[in-house]
Amino acid sequence: MTARRVLLLVYAGVLALVTARGGASHASNGQPAKSSAPQTSSAQSSQPATSSGGGSGSGSGGIPQNNGGDHDGDNNGGPSDGDGNT
Amino acid sequence: MHLRRNWAIVIAAAGVLAVAAVVALMFARGQAGSGPTSAPAQSQPAASQPAPSQAASASFAWFRSETAPASWLRASLAGQSGVLSYPSMLRPLSGDAGTVTYGLNTRAGAALIYLNVTPRQGGETLQNWPGFRAEHLREDGETAVRIDAASGTLSFRGGQGRCVVDDYTTKIHNNHYREIACYVQGATSAHTASVLIAATRAVTWAQYGTLLEQVVKGYAVK
Repeated sequence: MTARRVLLLVYAGVLALVTARGGASHASNGQPAKSSAPQTSSAQSSQPATSSGGGSGSGSGGIPQNNGGDHDGDNNGGPSDGDGNT
Repeated sequence: MHLRRNWAIVIAAAGVLAVAAVVALMFARGQAGSGPTSAPAQSQPAASQPAPSQAASASFAWFRSETAPASWLRASLAGQSGVLSYPSMLRPLSGDAGTVTYGLNTRAGAALIYLNVTPRQGGETLQNWPGFRAEHLREDGETAVRIDAASGTLSFRGGQGRCVVDDYTTKIHNNHYREIACYVQGATSAHTASVLIAATRAVTWAQYGTLLEQVVKGYAVK
């Protein structure tokens, strides 16, 4: 009888530990999402294939991407230039 | 005999409980340790980062306007309103009409160094420059735009300016760049103000960052 009680207590203890472990895991997942800017290790083309069409012709939405707008490199994955057309 | 069996059960049960406790403790430690190591350095909680003013002053401690090395070449905006000094290894790159753009690319076309000077075109001012630049990058479709440091008013050769160090990811190709972007105006007139961009890939900042700073220090306006 004593042995059964002890076994019952052991099972209860293990169950409590498993429950606690699940709680800790949940708390960890609940941390604020951390942002990380993606990095590229492979070389990718970043310069425009065409020369500038000139000027600040875009509207308030900025220069469209994918070779839109003024055909800057920054519309093709290149660094952003210093135009301030807004 | 019966008593001996009961004791055996008790000892076995205690052993199981001890093993379970050890496993649970090890798991809990693993959870606690994995958080910080998996978190990118640039996204630490705000509490661990220096205050903005501290970051700004520390980040621009390198700035002191100075004459560029004698071996460097020069390129100017119309009317000499902005004069860019750059090392001779750089080559002219295409850009908007009326702007000056020099850089260095890999054979595959990836930008290693990118310098651009553009006459003031929008509503940028000394006061709003950090916010203006970040907003403009976002309007251009860049993502993950982050201002890493913003200067106060800096004394350039021939005028005053403000700079930011920021990084962003392009929508096309997901290129991650880090730049020094400065708004600089002449001492005589804000109408001849210009924007200087000195950028490289975030992964090559350690290699070219000092050169970019040197370019910024040598920029002159009138």
